[in-house]
Amino acid sequence: MITSFVLRALEGRIVMAVAVLAAVALAVPASNLLLSPDSALHVPTYAVSLMGKYLCYALLALALDLVWGYCGILSLGHGAFFALGGYAMGMYLMRQIGSRGVYGNPVLPDFMVFLNWKELPWFWHGFDMFWFAMLMVLLVPGLLAFVFGWFAFRSRVNGVYLSIITQAMTYALMLAFFRNDMGFGGNNGLTDYKDILGFSVQADGTRAVLFALSALMLALCLVLASAITRSKFGKVLVGVRDAESRVRFLGFRVENIKLFTFVVSAMMAGIAGALFVPQVGIINPGEFAPANSIEVVVWTAVGGRGTLIGPIIGAVLVNGGKSFFTGAFPELWLYALGALFIGVTLFLPKGIVGTVQSGLAARRAMKAAARAEASGNDDRAPSQVQAAE
Amino acid sequence: MNFKARLGGAMLAAIMSTTAFHGAFAADDTIKIGVLHSLSGTMAISETTLKDAMLMLIDEQNKKGGVLGKKLEAVVVDPASDWPLFAEKARQLISQDKVAAVFGCWTSSSRKSVLPVFEELNSILFYPVQYEGEESSRNIIYTGAAPNQQAIPAVDYLMNTEGVERFVLEGTDYVYPQTTNKILKAYLMSKGIKAEDIMVNYTPFGFSDWQTEVSKIKAFGSAGKKTAVVSTINGDANVPFYKELANQGIKAEDIPVVAFSVGEEELAGLDTGPLVGHLAAWNYFQSVDTPVNAEFIKEWHAFTKNDKRVTNDPMEAAYIGFNAWVKAVEAAGTTDTDKVLDSIIGVSVPNLSGGYSTVMPNHHITKPVLIGEIQADGQFEIVQQTPAVVGDEWSDYLPDSKDLISDWRKPMSCGNFNVATGKCGGKGS
Amino acid sequence: MLIRFITLVLFLLSIATSSLAQSDPKALIDQLGKADFKQAEELIGQIAATGDPRVVPALNAFAEGDLYARKSDGAVFITKAAGADFTLIDPLSGESAGEAPKGSMVKLRINNNLRRVIRSATGGLTLLSPDRAVRLQAADAVLRSPSAENLELVEAALSKETDGEVRARMQEARAVSILISERPVDQKRAAIETVASLGGRGAISILMSAAPSLDAALKPDVDAAIARIETTQAFWDMGQNVWYGLSLGSVLLLAAIGLAITFGVMGIINMAHGEMVMLGAYSTYVVQEVIRTSAPNLFDWSLAIALPVAFLVTAAVGLVIERGVIRFLYGRPLETLLATWGVSLILQQLVRSIFGPTNQEVGNPSWMSGAFQLGQMQITWNRLWIVAFSLSIFIGLLVLMKRSAFGLQMRAVTQNRRMASSMGIRTPWVDAFTFALGSGIAGIAGVALSQIDNVSPNLGQSYIIDSFMVVVFGGVGNLWGTLVGALSLGVLNKFLEPWTGAVLGKILVLVLIILFIQKRPRGLFALKGRAVEA
Repeated sequence: MITSFVLRALEGRIVMAVAVLAAVALAVPASNLLLSPDSALHVPTYAVSLMGKYLCYALLALALDLVWGYCGILSLGHGAFFALGGYAMGMYLMRQIGSRGVYGNPVLPDFMVFLNWKELPWFWHGFDMFWFAMLMVLLVPGLLAFVFGWFAFRSRVNGVYLSIITQAMTYALMLAFFRNDMGFGGNNGLTDYKDILGFSVQADGTRAVLFALSALMLALCLVLASAITRSKFGKVLVGVRDAESRVRFLGFRVENIKLFTFVVSAMMAGIAGALFVPQVGIINPGEFAPANSIEVVVWTAVGGRGTLIGPIIGAVLVNGGKSFFTGAFPELWLYALGALFIGVTLFLPKGIVGTVQSGLAARRAMKAAARAEASGNDDRAPSQVQAAE
Repeated sequence: MNFKARLGGAMLAAIMSTTAFHGAFAADDTIKIGVLHSLSGTMAISETTLKDAMLMLIDEQNKKGGVLGKKLEAVVVDPASDWPLFAEKARQLISQDKVAAVFGCWTSSSRKSVLPVFEELNSILFYPVQYEGEESSRNIIYTGAAPNQQAIPAVDYLMNTEGVERFVLEGTDYVYPQTTNKILKAYLMSKGIKAEDIMVNYTPFGFSDWQTEVSKIKAFGSAGKKTAVVSTINGDANVPFYKELANQGIKAEDIPVVAFSVGEEELAGLDTGPLVGHLAAWNYFQSVDTPVNAEFIKEWHAFTKNDKRVTNDPMEAAYIGFNAWVKAVEAAGTTDTDKVLDSIIGVSVPNLSGGYSTVMPNHHITKPVLIGEIQADGQFEIVQQTPAVVGDEWSDYLPDSKDLISDWRKPMSCGNFNVATGKCGGKGS
Repeated sequence: MLIRFITLVLFLLSIATSSLAQSDPKALIDQLGKADFKQAEELIGQIAATGDPRVVPALNAFAEGDLYARKSDGAVFITKAAGADFTLIDPLSGESAGEAPKGSMVKLRINNNLRRVIRSATGGLTLLSPDRAVRLQAADAVLRSPSAENLELVEAALSKETDGEVRARMQEARAVSILISERPVDQKRAAIETVASLGGRGAISILMSAAPSLDAALKPDVDAAIARIETTQAFWDMGQNVWYGLSLGSVLLLAAIGLAITFGVMGIINMAHGEMVMLGAYSTYVVQEVIRTSAPNLFDWSLAIALPVAFLVTAAVGLVIERGVIRFLYGRPLETLLATWGVSLILQQLVRSIFGPTNQEVGNPSWMSGAFQLGQMQITWNRLWIVAFSLSIFIGLLVLMKRSAFGLQMRAVTQNRRMASSMGIRTPWVDAFTFALGSGIAGIAGVALSQIDNVSPNLGQSYIIDSFMVVVFGGVGNLWGTLVGALSLGVLNKFLEPWTGAVLGKILVLVLIILFIQKRPRGLFALKGRAVEA
């Protein structure tokens, strides 16, 4: 059953995307590690971690697409799940510093030492173990999503209201994490990591592995998301998106369906955050900022909502553009970014992938119609047109 | 399907070209300097000025013939007040643009974010803003004030000159105020101030409704002892804070406020008439009456083509840092990081308040501490100036850092040497 | 050199022989030019001891920082700026003493401590002034910085005083001075009563500072007096807190009310709303700049002038946004979020490019500065005006919506577009003007907010989330909901703040909103009926 579940996921373009990701996961680290820096094909370490960051963002956008594109929940708080996953990873990495911190305290991270904390707060316990931290990467965002979704979906908060309270959630978390008394390093966040599982986070090899992991995790989540959306459950999901009341009247427990998807999506976002932190080297409350979550929505919209591939492309394109413009035209890049958002919503309402898809479909339909006309077989054509749409 | 493959390839190519873009401009006859200040987002309000100041300094240096016979070239990037982006941009400046040194950062978070990058890629960052101390990196030169170069002389002034016996430590809830207030509290108590005469209070970033807080201060101030407020309130929240102070009629003669983050730039958004007499502690004020400062202000006005632009303390810190770098590079005869780091210790350059600032072995500098009172024209009247003070990276008033010292000269070359255990590495496990 | 040496010697002599009390005030004032803070403090005491009321203008000028010494001969003058020059005024006679270039004068340095000393000294000297206002001020000054030396002066003045209010104030000043004097216990006991009847934090402060030096027999009196004041103070504090809450609520209302139209009525998730507020604030700045340079006497009117300007500017920008972007997005509310987010980025950067990233100064007109006392509550004028202003906007908007033809059309279009269109309403026109109205109102909110907050490109960002919370909490599409929502969130916030701190208070409010929405998914005042589901 599981195989069929997975097999169904492997529709053409998903296979293609997974193949591309796998190739990237192999080729980029290989080129970085094996080729000499003078080679034209050499990818510098700087670019490896930069692209690794894009892949994490892509995973976050994919997670959002699962709830927004397929379930109609526009979450303006996905950044919170991402950040929580990041914090879980960050806490693990902080504990790995051990006595190499500036004060040489074997247990307490530096920021606790200079704020005169005497012992580790209870919620920091266990994070010295990798497996526990990884579990938390999944559990903490998952649990928050579960509790939040349990209440929200049960009382049928939806549409704009849901978006606004998810925003309130991430905003409240941001304020909370900014507080130094919370024990998460306040505004400075967690930084200055040394190693992960015994490997230095600054070594080229570790970066390459993290990059490859990000690409593979993205591929894995893409397959999972595809499997979910292409299963029977996925059909119901789209039903919830398009006509919630009707699905409810048909006897489905809409809130459970939504809750499941929301939790899965939050966990994916958590994974993205956990991969993000060792690659950029810092996690701080800025990640909870409502503006960040809105940006994720924008990537998804640019790439094409409800296409799974689209958000990935959108995230990579927008962030690539951002990296380029903030360096090349620091004064102008906000204009470009703003114009991009407006342009995409106005002229590409389905996003890049959606537009290309319907363009291709229309062409195929036209060709089919032309073929049908040529062969004189008229009664096949309409059904084909429909299928193509 | 072909399309997607092509798209993927194109994306990859786009990223590559992004990274190659800057490299393409590299020319051998220039030395590149990175300028890493936010030009958008919440910190742009403070940092944009520093970017302009850096461009001016580089421009001036080029007019004098550059450094080592080469022209300087500024590489400006925008980390957009986004801390992970600071790390990314720092990496880009160092490994793609191959800059010789970077001048930048404002908040502690941005510095913490880039610190591992500078240590990994072995480059130099000049950090021009006052900060909480408790750090000394081999690759960072801290030209802003450490707490003992700002906070402690300020409360000394309050106690000695104003006769203050009761303190409100009011700050924005982040690391700089938290640490500074910890240090101050320990210091005040060592001077015999009782714990019940110290009130510590924090507000969020960008806080704008100060009614309750200000009336709390008033209430605390009505215990019959002379009371003062020590403010570590962050940039944006200051304007509404001072407006509320003025409107609730808290006069400097009754409850003076001494601020560590309010300079000429922040006051530019305020009518300072009702605030005359409130204090600030810095290492530089625009009103410093020295020929070198007059010259600097003149250049600044000419460069920005605006006679009303003010100068402030972080600009002076950038000025000192830049000149120290130039001198160290000329002494080393190269921009190689290790050699420059060796030669920069002990480099002494004129500061704008009429003396000299020296880069100490702990990578902090010496500077005088100035206490100023706000004037009706938005400038400060200097009411006290100390001789040059050495920046103390590890505060003597925090239990875990009082045994630590930093000395980046060989053979010690250690940022956290523990004098109690005689080992490098904090407590030394 | 020789002259300087001689003046120095003379000066040192004068300090050393201060007990001889030089009686020539002019010479004393000239000595201020060479004195450091400590010496200046002593000199001010001597100047005041001459008892010559002519020294008051000079001392006041010193406190204001208008006292300068001439570099050439060290003579001290009161100055007034006149272009690049100073007009010199003789410190004693008040007569003009010609002009001098600014470069030739040195400012006499002043600090808070000296200001306090001066306040106390001039207070004593002006108690007998023929001008009632000056006497009142003098009594106030003595009250605020009492000294035992002033006691005789106060009593002398009191015996001659006829004006009731000034008398009362002098009585209080006398009581305060008695507390720190060597007077007998019964006089002090009476003084404690007088001070206690003053009430408020000030009285507590006076009693507590006097307490350590008082006779042990008076201790119970002081404690009882303080306890009494504190009981009434607690009651007033409660009132003060409600006021703070209402004033915070009215700020929220101002920020949110434009959004209540664009988001609440039209259903556009208008992320550029904050930027409209910001543009309104910048309009105020520009208006004030123009007034400063061309008609400074109109400054007190600047806000009144800025209101229509801000409204027109932001309404025009809103109109452009609606026609250029939003009209293509009706029926796709979530996509308006993206487009308006883009608009907000562009507007922010535009303002940053034009005005620079730093704060701009927007001044308070005189009628919005300061505070007045209501019982033991202090109410600041700017907050009072903002409360009044936001309520009047609310009422105006309500009337417009409920009583005008445009309001009727607006409601018709938002409730059933096709039906409204069939009835002959030009729906695109109504859409455009509704959005412009919402933007315009955000703009005039910006005028008011410029009085209490930073005017910077980030201004809008700090209000956008709070605005959405208010509208959603109150109930989308209901103006009353926005009013009640804003005011109750304001009061809630201010009651949480004292015992949780500002940071945690804000977090708690957010959590409460989230929980509240679970309970009532459509806010406080939910719209009912079919239109809701559409």
